[in-house]
Amino acid sequence: MTRVLVPLAILEGETVPAGLPTLLASTDVTVLGYHVLPEQTPPDQARLQYEDRATAALDDLVAEFEAAGSEADHRLVFTHDREQTIDRVAAETGADAYAIPGVTGPVDRLLVALSGDVAVDRIRSFVADLIADREIDVTLFLATDDEPGGRESLETAAEALAAAGIDAETELAVGDAPFEALLGATADHDAVVMGERAPSLRSFLLGEDEERVAAESVGPVLVVRSSDGT
Amino acid sequence: MSDSSSVGGTNVDGESPQLEPTVETDEATITDDAELERTLGLTGGLAIGIGTMIGAGIFVFPGLAAGQAGPAAAGSFAIGALVALLVALPASELATAMPKSGGGYYYISRGLGTLAGTVVGLSLWFGLVFATAFYLVGFGYYAVDTLAELGVAVGDGLVIPLALLFGAGFTVLNVTGTENAAKLQNGIVALLLSILVVFLGYGGLDAMGLIGDPSAPEQFAPFGTMPILTTAALVFTSYLGFAQVATVAGEMKDPGRNLPLAMVGSVLVVGVLYVATIFVATSAFGSERLAQFGETAMVEVGRHYLGAAGAVAIVFGGLLATMSSANASILSTSRAIYAVSKDALLPRRASNINLRYGTPHVALGMAGGPILVLVATGRVELLAEVASFLHLITYGLICVALLALRRDEPEWYDPDFRTPGYPVVPILGALASFALIGFMQRASQLIGVAIMLVTAGWYAYYARDVTLRGALQ
Repeated sequence: MTRVLVPLAILEGETVPAGLPTLLASTDVTVLGYHVLPEQTPPDQARLQYEDRATAALDDLVAEFEAAGSEADHRLVFTHDREQTIDRVAAETGADAYAIPGVTGPVDRLLVALSGDVAVDRIRSFVADLIADREIDVTLFLATDDEPGGRESLETAAEALAAAGIDAETELAVGDAPFEALLGATADHDAVVMGERAPSLRSFLLGEDEERVAAESVGPVLVVRSSDGT
Repeated sequence: MSDSSSVGGTNVDGESPQLEPTVETDEATITDDAELERTLGLTGGLAIGIGTMIGAGIFVFPGLAAGQAGPAAAGSFAIGALVALLVALPASELATAMPKSGGGYYYISRGLGTLAGTVVGLSLWFGLVFATAFYLVGFGYYAVDTLAELGVAVGDGLVIPLALLFGAGFTVLNVTGTENAAKLQNGIVALLLSILVVFLGYGGLDAMGLIGDPSAPEQFAPFGTMPILTTAALVFTSYLGFAQVATVAGEMKDPGRNLPLAMVGSVLVVGVLYVATIFVATSAFGSERLAQFGETAMVEVGRHYLGAAGAVAIVFGGLLATMSSANASILSTSRAIYAVSKDALLPRRASNINLRYGTPHVALGMAGGPILVLVATGRVELLAEVASFLHLITYGLICVALLALRRDEPEWYDPDFRTPGYPVVPILGALASFALIGFMQRASQLIGVAIMLVTAGWYAYYARDVTLRGALQ
């Protein structure tokens, strides 16, 4: 079964938008409630004080996902390092993707970004499992300098999705601002699926691409992990 | 995993120790419903150990120590390193058996029971308070020297006000959250080590007569052997950092490997640097002149070898080092308070954290307040010795706790690291720790004993019914 990790800053009141449980209805969900502490605070000290409150909030969220049809559970982690926690729990639960919640209502149109050095096969099979047999429009998006090559990968991916019963439109952006092109394309869609990329100097300076897409596109972003951690 | 027959009881406020079964993995501590991420690597652990230790010994003590023991002060530092090492090994074993926050207090309360635990836990709080005050006064001297190097001669009258100002500043900073403090700490430690290696490398070559002018030979131990031991007792404050690594044991990745390496490694690194520093410093000036320079004697040593640039580098290094020691100790203090309040030896509210900043504001206040009072006294040597006294009691008892735990080994006791040379090492460690106390000034000994009596009284009043021996959370 496909599993999606939904990390939430649980004690800061971060919660899921109405459309997310519906979108993830056909997958298993692990809600990862985390609380990041400054270095001077032992994580255990925060747990002692806030565990009950966090667990209550997580139980409510799990109920929301279950009501939408997912098999859902939760993990609660007190940490100094959010990235490390998400990576560890994703690997331990064998999650295929993690969600950056955003805000959204029902998701009818899904943008799937295949740009760059990402595991296209993993993304494609994740999308097929995610949509299952629902009526959700899919746009496969690719930004590249290599127009024929890009068109070819888009076609291959679209055919593979069609084999799973999903008709996908394709959108090819040729030019020198691939990231901006992706941001432009998100505007007409309710949610984004993209691949996890190796950290680069640019991501170090500007923040992860995924986080930036989430920030600019408002809707949820599902990030397909580059390896299953096993 | 807890042995319910010997655990529990309540304190005067009706609170019980919070003991829960946990599973320790290399990546996280897993309790019933939550996980605690382990985020510190070996580098982070070494940075905590070295960062806490490197300030006092190198930048504050050379002048004072050389005045008392002559060039043999290098021997005093070596004795300190040896004692620290004898304790670091048993502490490492206990830390890998119980990789939880709390450090020395935790092992002693589990190995020797609640009375010893209360005395040590509260003494550690006061010990850290004295140590922090000492670091801050040292910082004050360096701050004044920095101003002097910048051409603003303000005189020693400003030492205490500046130390107070920064002490209050650190407390506030820690309450409102220090983002990326650990990364900054790593950077500071790396920078300090580079400054020292360049300086000691050059100074060492000079001192051995390979470059520069030959220095006047001086009798190695002009005042005999006794001052070497009393000086060792004084400068032992320089080695208080290694146990701080154990207080973050709950946050360290792969604790079975990283804890012993960080503790033993930081003692070795710092010990070598200290001995080399004293050697270089006494070669530059002779101990009598060095003593006249007082707390910031190293600045003159830097000037002697490398001119104005050397002086500036040492002033800068001294500022950073005393600052990082003081800051690390304030943090350790709040962790010590947390550990005892979790076990119901102090009111639970002492370890409350505020959700806005995520920091333990009550415990930080309980650290910062007394620190400022002690800084105001400005008594460098007394502060250092009382801090050493209280820590040495803890260190000695850590060794005793190891012996007690090993003698009738409980089922849960399964350390990844076993002390080499058992039982000789822990026995020597305990004897050396307690013996070092005997070489301190009378005033320091009286204050130390008084603090221990007060903490024992607190136990009798507040937590007599709490039982902790053999209890694991």
